[in-house]
Amino acid sequence: MTTCSPARSDLLSRRLVLGLVSVMMAMPVLVASARAGSLDDIKKRGLIVATEDDFRPFEFVKDGKPTGFDNELIEDLRKYAPFEIKQQILPWTGILAGVSTGKYDVAITAAIITKERRQSLDFTSPIADATHHYVKRKDDKSISSIKDLNGKIVGVQAGSALLARLPELGTMLEKEGGKLGKVVEYTSYPEAYQDLAVGRVDYVVNTIINLQTLVAEKPAVFELGQAVSGKSFPAWAVAKGNTELLEFLNGFIAKEKETGRFAELQKKWFGEAFPNLPVSFEPEF
Amino acid sequence: MTGGDVLAILQGAVVTVTLSLTGILIGLPIGLGLAVLRWADVPVIAHIVTVYVSILRATPLVTLLLLLFFALPNIGIAIGPISAAILALVMNTAAFNCEVWRASLLNFPKDQYEAAQSVGMGAALRFRRIVLPQIARASLPGLVNEMSLLIKVTPALAVVGVVDITRAAVRIGAETYDPLPPFLVALALYAPIVFVLVWLQRWIERRQIRVEAAA
Repeated sequence: MTTCSPARSDLLSRRLVLGLVSVMMAMPVLVASARAGSLDDIKKRGLIVATEDDFRPFEFVKDGKPTGFDNELIEDLRKYAPFEIKQQILPWTGILAGVSTGKYDVAITAAIITKERRQSLDFTSPIADATHHYVKRKDDKSISSIKDLNGKIVGVQAGSALLARLPELGTMLEKEGGKLGKVVEYTSYPEAYQDLAVGRVDYVVNTIINLQTLVAEKPAVFELGQAVSGKSFPAWAVAKGNTELLEFLNGFIAKEKETGRFAELQKKWFGEAFPNLPVSFEPEF
Repeated sequence: MTGGDVLAILQGAVVTVTLSLTGILIGLPIGLGLAVLRWADVPVIAHIVTVYVSILRATPLVTLLLLLFFALPNIGIAIGPISAAILALVMNTAAFNCEVWRASLLNFPKDQYEAAQSVGMGAALRFRRIVLPQIARASLPGLVNEMSLLIKVTPALAVVGVVDITRAAVRIGAETYDPLPPFLVALALYAPIVFVLVWLQRWIERRQIRVEAAA
C-alpha cells in the first residue's frame, strides 16, 4: 500500500471542506427561490397540510387513525376545498420549519401566535383560547395558588410559546416576593406529565385546553391550577407572505364558525366553546 | 392499551425492520466500496472518501435527515419521508462500515497478496478469492455491531414523520396519558430484532470454523 504525503492530502481535504461549507452557505439563498406554492399551484398539485401526532386533543392518533379537533376540521376542509388535501403526520419538531421552508403549505395544528414566529410565518384566525395554566399533582398540598409556585420545579415543552412566556409567571411571582424555580424542558408533553406524576417536577405549564383534557382523563392524579399568562391564542400557520392561502383558510374558518360546526367541535374536543375568538390577533410577546 | 394499540406498535416494528434492513443491505457494499477506494489510494477519490467519512461520522443522524428532508427540495429534488430516511441511514452507516472494512484491509497480510500476484492472479480475482473472504470474517463482529447500532438509531427517523416502533409507542402514550405500557411493548420488540442479528453472526462464524476444519 502506498501513502501520499500528508501535505497534499491536507490541501485537498481543505478544498473539499471549503467547497462543502460554501454549498451549505448557499442553501438559504436557494431556499428563497423555492417558497411555498401560490393558490394556483396548490389547485394543480393539491394542498399539503402538516399535522402533529401526539398533541391531544388537537391532533392525535387513535388505533392508527388521525383524530382530534384539527383532524375533524381537515375532513370538513376536504369537502370545502376545490382541490386535493394531502396530509403529512409528523412530530412537532419538524412542522414549523417545514412550513417556513415550503415543504408543507400549512401547519394545521395549534401553533400559538407569538411575535417571534410572526417573523417567518403568518397565522390564520385563532382556533381556540390558549391561556396558559399550570397543572399539579392532586395529592400535592403545598400548591394552592400562584404564589405557592415560588421556587418549585416547572416542566414545559422545549421551543414552545409556553416556554417563551414563562417570564410572565416570573413577574407574577416576583410581585409576591418569590421567583421562578428550575425549568425542565421536554420534547413533548406526555413526558412532562409522566415526570409530574412521579414527582420529578412540581407543576407543568400548558394551555387550558390541553390541561383540561388531561385532568378529565386522569382526575385522580392531576389537578388544574390558575392562569399563569395573559391572552394567548393558537392558530394554523402558513409561510410568511402566502396571503392567498391565508385568506382561503380564514374563509373556511369563518364559514365553520357561521354554521356552528366550529363551536360544536370545540365543545366535543375542548369541553367548551369559545364564541368570542378574535378574527385576527397581534401578539404582544 | 388496546389490541389496536399493540397492532400499531407491531406495524411500527415492520417499519423499523424494513428500514434497518434496507439501510444495512445498501450500506454494507457501499461501505466496502469506499474502504477499497481508500485502501487502494485512488488519486483524488480516496481523499473525497476520507472527507466524506469524516463529515458523516461527525454528523448526528437527526441533523443529517432534517438537512436532506428540508434542503433537497430547495435544489429541485423532491424527497418523501421514507426515501429521506433510507438515504440518511445509508449515508450514515456506509461511513461507519467503511472504517470497519478499512481496519481489516489495513491488517491484511501483504505477503498473501504478493503470493497471489506471483501465481498470476488478476487484481479482481485476487480481491475476490484471497482478500474478501478473510476481511469479511475479520470485519464481521464490527459490522454486526454497527448494524445493531443502526437498528437502535431508527427512532431518530421519526422527526420527518416515519412511524417506527418508538414513535408508535409515543403516539399511544400521548393518547392514553399512560406511556409506560407502550414503551414496555416497544422495548420487548427491539430485543428479538437485535437478537436475530447476533444469532446470524454466530451462525456464520460457526459455519466458517466448520468449513476450515473440513479443509
